[in-house]
Amino acid sequence: MIAYEPGDSLAHGLDARAKLAFQAAFAVAAFAHTSPQGLVAAGAVTLVILAASRTPLLRTLWTFRSFLPFLLAAPLVEGARLGPPWFVAEDAVFPALAAVRVGLTVLVGAAYVRTTPVRESRAAVQWLVPGRVGAFLGLGVGMVFRLLPVLRADLSRIRSAMHARLAAERSLRDRMRLVGVTGLRRAFRRSDALSLALRARCFAWNPTLPPLAFRGRDWATLAVAAAVAAVAAV
Amino acid sequence: MIEVAGLTHRYGDTVAVDGVDLTVGDGEVLVLAGRNGSGKTTLIRHFNGLLDPDEGEVRVNGTPVEDDLVAARASVGMVFQDPRDQFVAATVGADVAFGPENLGLDRDEIDRRTTDALDAVNMAGRGEERIDELSGGEQARVAIAGALAMDPDHLVCDEPFAGLDWPARRAVLDRLEALADAGRSVVVVTHDLRDVADFADRVAVLADGRIATEGAPADVRAALPDLGVRPP
Repeated sequence: MIAYEPGDSLAHGLDARAKLAFQAAFAVAAFAHTSPQGLVAAGAVTLVILAASRTPLLRTLWTFRSFLPFLLAAPLVEGARLGPPWFVAEDAVFPALAAVRVGLTVLVGAAYVRTTPVRESRAAVQWLVPGRVGAFLGLGVGMVFRLLPVLRADLSRIRSAMHARLAAERSLRDRMRLVGVTGLRRAFRRSDALSLALRARCFAWNPTLPPLAFRGRDWATLAVAAAVAAVAAV
Repeated sequence: MIEVAGLTHRYGDTVAVDGVDLTVGDGEVLVLAGRNGSGKTTLIRHFNGLLDPDEGEVRVNGTPVEDDLVAARASVGMVFQDPRDQFVAATVGADVAFGPENLGLDRDEIDRRTTDALDAVNMAGRGEERIDELSGGEQARVAIAGALAMDPDHLVCDEPFAGLDWPARRAVLDRLEALADAGRSVVVVTHDLRDVADFADRVAVLADGRIATEGAPADVRAALPDLGVRPP
């Protein structure tokens, strides 16, 4: 699961708002320039971002392994025919490029998540969207980032516990039912526990958030984001 | 001071806490003991209004809990049985700062409280570490730090030694003793008095939701085995 990892990389030192701006500009540019050349350029930028955030490419791809088959299946399904010639490569090109775009955007998003503490994301969201709506969105961001890794770890523990007692002897359907039902029950329990913990520690809609401050490199990042957005508009 | 008067709590038809009267004095160390299901956790969750009583009342520093929940929760720091149930952030510092942030304190005060709380549990300088990479004993200490950062008058720990090996138990106990020495009242919930008997001023044993016996550790010792509590 991609989650915040403390560190001292270049990306760790950037303001969350600058990173969000770059991320948005990158997504727009990746979807605006659908040519292979455009995606090669976006791929190069992605590698630079992964390096600047010390995000390991292969480990990140492995984390997203459950949805990679869908990206790979899209061009195969589009190009496949029920009769001769069985596969039309030209038809597969567009969904293949779309799949690459999605993959690159996800990798850039992973770099953001890995280098940005949840509280800073929340502060950035509340800065971008002031008032109660922003507070609600910010809280949602915090809850999702907190609860999802916990739920995923729970599912992993459930699977391990099942396999420790020879769950592989059961049918796939039975195993899926057990993981699903137990996982759902565990999710409710986790939600209850989190709710209790929040109340015990005086949960507030308007807590003191970490200070956000733009420094030189944040302005530089913002300038790069503006340039990328301009490229998208051309 | 925490004052519990005639407190009753029911889960459906089951009476978990049955007309309990109890007082925790300022600076006192109270051990709340009892076998599993005796009502210990339910009782302490009333100390800061996490549960609503069916009957009776709890006062914290003279004020009924329901009259000012924020004051009650700031005054009574709660450490849950499973520290993982308490954590709301990925890193040590962010989690410890969570409570003070909710109190709306300024950033300098939040940073000071976070530093002091981590220092108090021997975790100074480890604010950037990921909680899920800590050992069980370290997680237990971070959970205590999270409660301490609220600067509570009273610290309530639900089974703080559960699942910890001896060095980790010793480390947590040392921290609790230091807090008691500093004048905070400490309530420790347990079903095993071996770790805490020397540290407690008073022991109250719950059975079937009622206070079955109460007194100095030496005075209640003989009654403990029959009440499902391991004596020291």
